[in-house]
Amino acid sequence: MSEITRADVRGFRQVDEVVWELPADARADMRVPARVFADRELIGQIATDRSLEQLQNVATLPGIVGAALAMPDIHQGYGFPVGGVAATEPPDGIVSPGGVGYDINCGVRLLALPVSVGELGRRTEALVHEISRRVPVGAGHGGALNLTGSALDRVLVQGPTALVAEHGIGNRDDIEQTESRGCLAGADPQTVSERARSRGADQLGTLGSGNHFLEVQRVAKIIDPEAAEAFGLRQDQVTVLIHSGSRGFGHQVCSDNVRAMDAVQVRYRITLPDRELACAPLSSPEGRRYMAAMACAANFAWANRAVLAHRVRESVARILGPAVADGTRQVYDVAHNVAKLETHHGRELCVHRKGATRAFPAGSAEIPRSYRSVGQPVFIPGSMGTSSFVLVGRQGAMERSFGTTCHGAGRRMSRTGARRQINGAQLRHRLEAEGIVVRCPSNRGLAEEAPFAYKDVERVVAVVEQAGLAGRVAQLVPLGVVKG
Amino acid sequence: MSYRWVEHTAELEIEIEAPTEEGVFVDALLALGELLGHEGRGASVCREIAIGGRERAVLLVEWLDELVYVAETEDLVPENAVRIELSDDGLVATVRCHRGSPRHLIKAATYHRLAFEPSGQGFRATVVLDV
Repeated sequence: MSEITRADVRGFRQVDEVVWELPADARADMRVPARVFADRELIGQIATDRSLEQLQNVATLPGIVGAALAMPDIHQGYGFPVGGVAATEPPDGIVSPGGVGYDINCGVRLLALPVSVGELGRRTEALVHEISRRVPVGAGHGGALNLTGSALDRVLVQGPTALVAEHGIGNRDDIEQTESRGCLAGADPQTVSERARSRGADQLGTLGSGNHFLEVQRVAKIIDPEAAEAFGLRQDQVTVLIHSGSRGFGHQVCSDNVRAMDAVQVRYRITLPDRELACAPLSSPEGRRYMAAMACAANFAWANRAVLAHRVRESVARILGPAVADGTRQVYDVAHNVAKLETHHGRELCVHRKGATRAFPAGSAEIPRSYRSVGQPVFIPGSMGTSSFVLVGRQGAMERSFGTTCHGAGRRMSRTGARRQINGAQLRHRLEAEGIVVRCPSNRGLAEEAPFAYKDVERVVAVVEQAGLAGRVAQLVPLGVVKG
Repeated sequence: MSYRWVEHTAELEIEIEAPTEEGVFVDALLALGELLGHEGRGASVCREIAIGGRERAVLLVEWLDELVYVAETEDLVPENAVRIELSDDGLVATVRCHRGSPRHLIKAATYHRLAFEPSGQGFRATVVLDV
């Protein structure tokens, strides 16, 4: 473990083993403290880029309550750091599109197949290959489901429920096993620009590029047997993890609203240290308009992951048979870029999660009945080729982080830095030598997502567990990956 | 051509220096073309682009967003600006593109660390792309 001095963490004081805090009076414009969940090793890594400065900027936002929070996977973003959490109080507290990000409701969905890795046998490569044939990657368009007009409007308002009813995609159980049942209230298609609609029209069921992926996995270890049983997970079971978001539709909704809010900062007498934090009071016309448009994008993202899950089931049917496809159940689907109105500490707050995951504990009425005795499932993808984790929300999240935990390993190296260390062909060879099937059309894209470009996911997960935000349920290891 | 990629943990930051304001926009186009990739070069196509607004930094964000939109919806990779005119009302340009298979990596140009200012004998700009 590296020796960290006070200067190394830029004035952040260690509160306990996994909490670091900068008091509100550290900077004249901060309204609340800035607080980071991290161990000594991680805080040292975090301090090497601008993420702590960005967290302090978040602490200046009008109407922010408690503290500007960062999960252990925090890294430098734009405006908000990735891994940042901020709760603001209506009506005067603000909402910031940059506090959600351009990929609105980027998130992860876990499917559990009714087969073990032994039963999958030598068909792993065939399954990964079939999925890669059916799921468009990289390209901005080309999804088989092209929706326009009122058909698209119904997806924007209802999310994947519209797909079940009108297109036979997914099922009622999938809807139940989705955060917010796959539908944020208040979605209004009238608040969405024509450009956003045109970008999204043929993108339902496309994976995208960057860090988006689809991974076939094996349950390598059960850590919490009670929660694993509730989630329907068992040792050596085959799972599929889907990571994607609202694609060009959500990107455009964010762009439109950052621009609109940037233009009204003077009207609302808001002074910001970073223009990307552009915001408006939740009760203002601009704030209400953004919340209605963001809900459309969030619902679109859940529908996108529903179509991707449908393509996985089609692939399973072709390679493993229709009975296995029918028995493939959705464990859960969680958002990690979203702003939601929730009740915390007896107050209604708007919780911005930018690269952070809701993690409600046992007993919450917001999670499916079948999981209510153990808590909400959370999925933490590792870097490519490393473990991912299934977690469960804990009471500490309600007490310390507005019901939130981390969302992944978190980058620690730039894309160019990763490419300097390895090329895509080398990485592909290395992963295949470890028995992992790789389907990725871009060697450059593959190299940029090299495992060493990310923090150690096991260390990140250990911090949220020690902080009482979430507990480990199961460890998943990759069998094959499809990337854009 | 005078742009460079600045280290950023997760996103991509472009720093541009050019002798004229128009040159900044041209260099931003060239940087974007490099990022999107010129593989699978197909037929040349010209696109007219018009963006309203006075502030140069915001125009730069909207210029890049427009080029990202064209790439995403039409698979057009920008090659050069045949014409580019800046005024107090905004920007009009004719952009030569080629059909290709652009990497759809860029979500948007952001306002984070956004700058467009005189520098020495020319202009300097910084913009961060969300990828």
